[in-house]
Amino acid sequence: MAKIQLTDVFVEMADTLVVGFDLIDFLHLLTERCVQLLGISATGLLLTDQRGALRFTAASTEQTRLLELFQVQVDEGPCLDCFRSGQPVSVPDLFGAVDRWPQFTPAAIETGYATVAALPMRLRNEIIGALNLFDARPSSITPDKQRLGQALADIATIGILQERAIRLRDTLTQQLETALHSRIIIEQAKGVIAEREGLDPGQAFERLRNVSRKHNRRLSDLARMIVDGSEQLPPALT
Amino acid sequence: MSPDRALPLWSMVLEQAAGTPVTVGHVCAAVVRVTGVDGSSVALTTSSPIREAVYASDETAARVEELTLTLGEGPSIDALRLGEPVLSADMAGTVARSRWPLFASEAVAVGVQAVFALPLRIGVIHLGVLTTYRRRSGDLIRRQVSDGLALADILCLLLLDGTDPAVDTPLPEADDAEEVRYPEVHQATGMITVQLGVTAEIAFARLRAFAFAHNRRLRDVARDVVARRLRFEPDSDDDYACGR
Repeated sequence: MAKIQLTDVFVEMADTLVVGFDLIDFLHLLTERCVQLLGISATGLLLTDQRGALRFTAASTEQTRLLELFQVQVDEGPCLDCFRSGQPVSVPDLFGAVDRWPQFTPAAIETGYATVAALPMRLRNEIIGALNLFDARPSSITPDKQRLGQALADIATIGILQERAIRLRDTLTQQLETALHSRIIIEQAKGVIAEREGLDPGQAFERLRNVSRKHNRRLSDLARMIVDGSEQLPPALT
Repeated sequence: MSPDRALPLWSMVLEQAAGTPVTVGHVCAAVVRVTGVDGSSVALTTSSPIREAVYASDETAARVEELTLTLGEGPSIDALRLGEPVLSADMAGTVARSRWPLFASEAVAVGVQAVFALPLRIGVIHLGVLTTYRRRSGDLIRRQVSDGLALADILCLLLLDGTDPAVDTPLPEADDAEEVRYPEVHQATGMITVQLGVTAEIAFARLRAFAFAHNRRLRDVARDVVARRLRFEPDSDDDYACGR
């Protein structure tokens, strides 16, 4: 992978935050750029559902998506601690953290990660989610990388605000509800595509995303039209 | 929803029901209690563009529904259209008056100073809108919003019971609203729309009915569907699904 420059990422993010951008797509892109920029294995992002829980929103890889979901399911892990305390959580060596998260830690090690950090997504006094950084080498997520990761988490927060500010003067409640339901619609669309084309959900998401990029369509609009049957994906190139 | 909050909310709904089957009215009564409003109502989106009010806690709530229907504007119209909560804390203020010139002044005339509308939806499934009103202006606090959203989730499940006449869907259980948090549930819903050639609403109702009939957790059944251990067939008689 070519070395990616910080400036390139910031320019790309700024370019993305224009009228009509898709929030979930933006957050996925951000998790991918975060991996490239920080030179780490994976990232995942969880947002509050405003009912007291975190929900999966975006991840750079399928394995990380599963690990993020696992944290939510077993109700433990760095992302949850970070969300609840509002403070960054950094674990240089996961092998020493089995007592802290007896269920999450073995699952993370099994996935191939040796270190993890969780960075809060903060809006004014409120914590709206957390960004998780994972890497396969112990102690590789240095304080510098965490600072940069925090800057990217802040961009994600701005993206969430921006998406709505463009449309109407509105509240955080609406912004987060939009993100939550966009995510649900994408899951529903993944099911439709998986069933039609005999794919697994991860492949179905890739398919959806490739078509949305290639045809310059908003990810969640395309997903919605696939679920309500008003649109089908063009045949995949084989 | 966090389990520690889901349970007290559900207990509150059951308390309202006092041993009878849970209805929209019982959930709405719980909404009034936890969000500090004065009344609530529910309108459903029907296949026609006309909203159908199915419940109002009192005359003022009914009046708010009626105004919305007659004037064709107001927070609950916007909540339905945008699919997002519309929380209007000051009906007499300039923001509300410019956004809904007719509705805002009529609402104030009947003594309503704040209107909070929460859409009843699960992804693409749009069922209707929960509207609450308060005689005093002012924002809801965070806890009231989150409890309102959680109760709106329970309402969604309750309303879905009547979605598919072919299926006797179960009433929601305490942990049902929490199960909806799992992505497999929505992926399975999408898969079932293709397997049965039905809408997402009906697919979701079938999934829940199957879980209920087999006394299994929704997310476990959904996982079986996603892993292709379970498939729903259009014409099977009793189960609406068969393993393979």
